[in-house]
Amino acid sequence: MSYISKRNIASMVAGIALIVAYIIYATDANAPAAENLRAWAAAILVFIVIGIGIQILVQIMFHIALAIGIAVKKELKEGCKQGDESVERIIKSEMVEDERIKIIELKASRAGYWFMGLGVAAAFMVIASGAETVAALHVLFGMSALASVAEGVAGIIYHERGVK
Amino acid sequence: MTRKLIIKNNIRRLRFFANEMTQLELSEKAGISRQTVVALEAGKYTPSLEMAFRIADAFGVSLEQVFERVTEENGSRQ
Repeated sequence: MSYISKRNIASMVAGIALIVAYIIYATDANAPAAENLRAWAAAILVFIVIGIGIQILVQIMFHIALAIGIAVKKELKEGCKQGDESVERIIKSEMVEDERIKIIELKASRAGYWFMGLGVAAAFMVIASGAETVAALHVLFGMSALASVAEGVAGIIYHERGVK
Repeated sequence: MTRKLIIKNNIRRLRFFANEMTQLELSEKAGISRQTVVALEAGKYTPSLEMAFRIADAFGVSLEQVFERVTEENGSRQ
């Protein structure tokens, strides 16, 4: 599996963790009342900030783990020591963002936009059906988190299948 | 009648004749990622003209020596 696919998986795990954390918060007995939209909006904003923080943290941890993984693999295979020039070369080469990677990212982001669009439509449908307004906020947040997961899945598919 | 254009490459063969150049070495010379070299060799990606020239330059050969076109008509290759 390629470096980009692994990075996408790490990003998806962070997205899923955020959805789970939000569900736990929303179903908790101490959650704000359904009518208190201001509190819910503030909570969602906090979750968005936490989500960005988690993504950054996961990416940093992923890069450290990747560097260690490559160095250990190389050491076991060829007996190279950590900090060896060849290890640095492999890591550098894996992280190059060329046109193919940019095309894949663009195509994958299209899947994310689809989910976001569906989320907005679903939120309006929820309000139109007479449900509580807060349900629309839940749908919007849930679909935006799902959009990042869909983007990751699409990215992996394009990487493994290839783009023409 | 529509013709399907397939672009094939000789990267694997050229690497072999370039003193068994590794995928990593080619990626560094052409300024692309190693994964892209893997995808190109597997026929999973057709590069842009710019990348194609960069790969040809990395081998020091002309574009035609790296890439060749195969047209497919009614299931038969030409």
